[in-house]
Amino acid sequence: MTILAQNAILITILGMTVFNFLLRFTPLVALTRFSLPSVVERWLSFVPISVMGALFATQILLPAWEQSSGKQSIPLYFNPGIFGALAAMLVFKLTKSFIGGTVAGVVVFVLVRWLVGVA
Amino acid sequence: METKAAQFRAGLRSGLPIFLGYVPVGIAFGILAAQHGFYWWEALLASAGAIAGSGQFVALSTLLASGGSAVAAIIASSIVNLRYLLFSATTAPHVRKAKLPLLVWLGFSLTDETFAINMAEAKEKKSTPIRMAGVGFISWVGWVLGTLIGDVGASFVKNADRFGVNFAMPAMYAALFVALANNLKEVICGIGSAVIVIGLYVLDKTGLLVIQSYWFIIIAALLAATIATIVWPRDDKGSGTLSCAHDKVPDPLSSDASPDGRGANSEVTELEEAATSNEMLVGKRALS
Repeated sequence: MTILAQNAILITILGMTVFNFLLRFTPLVALTRFSLPSVVERWLSFVPISVMGALFATQILLPAWEQSSGKQSIPLYFNPGIFGALAAMLVFKLTKSFIGGTVAGVVVFVLVRWLVGVA
Repeated sequence: METKAAQFRAGLRSGLPIFLGYVPVGIAFGILAAQHGFYWWEALLASAGAIAGSGQFVALSTLLASGGSAVAAIIASSIVNLRYLLFSATTAPHVRKAKLPLLVWLGFSLTDETFAINMAEAKEKKSTPIRMAGVGFISWVGWVLGTLIGDVGASFVKNADRFGVNFAMPAMYAALFVALANNLKEVICGIGSAVIVIGLYVLDKTGLLVIQSYWFIIIAALLAATIATIVWPRDDKGSGTLSCAHDKVPDPLSSDASPDGRGANSEVTELEEAATSNEMLVGKRALS
């Protein structure tokens, strides 16, 4: 196992902290000082749902798909992740609570995983 | 209006699912960092300063792959985190009233998850900059705490996945998808983005794609948002809840438009009457 040099680690930490902050802070401070054209605001209004759709696909759908074709071959209609996601969505829809949805999702995920018998 | 303290506490509550999701991922980072020569305080510093989930993993693996090149690691992690430019720009219209120190904190604590929760709450008109600061704070605590646990007590937490902790983040994404999809257009846009990202992964498997996979989410999101804006350039009336920045636009316009229209019509009728009537009436109108 590679053990890294201390100065490389420290410079990376420092650089990562500075660059990350600049990426996150600069548009925030620049764009609160003046307003954007309405078409840009319209475009930005579609960004959150687009990001979430893509994250949902990579975190839930793609793993489910891989599990259905891989060694484990869990059928999609019995995938713990898909069940967990549906539970999270349903509970959030009913309660408007993120924590409720998240916990429900995890509980259903663990239950279905146990039923299917995947380690 | 709630007091500042109450808003901050509400933010802490809203951010609790992020906390739950971050602890296990932070643990994973802590374990990995410890294995590769990070002191516990270095891993802690990395998480506390950067709070960049995938960015930190990429930095670590680039450090390893490049034989310890800090420059390569910083560049790689910044590339992965370019999406924050977009999130930051999207958040900006919702925090116009915030003072500079608050903006600094909101920028510092911006992640995929805090962004998503804040935007979902902004759509429901629940969000304030201070509440967002609370969301950011509890998330930061979860990420740093997870890293510490992973670094110090790796052996205790190896079996944590038995309790499904690694599914906390995906479960939160599922709930957030529902929260952010407030009308049919947004549902279609989100599903479209999911389809694009899956398409990119399929293309990637064939080896035809030369793009790194950490770009896929941002490419899919940009494409989906752009197509949605081209197809639906403006909101129709009654299309459901809209973003804060936007719903102020159509309402005054439409309510202004109808009195204007009526006004113009009635003026035309009056002028016609005046034309058919005597000159005195015309004079009266001119005076009034």
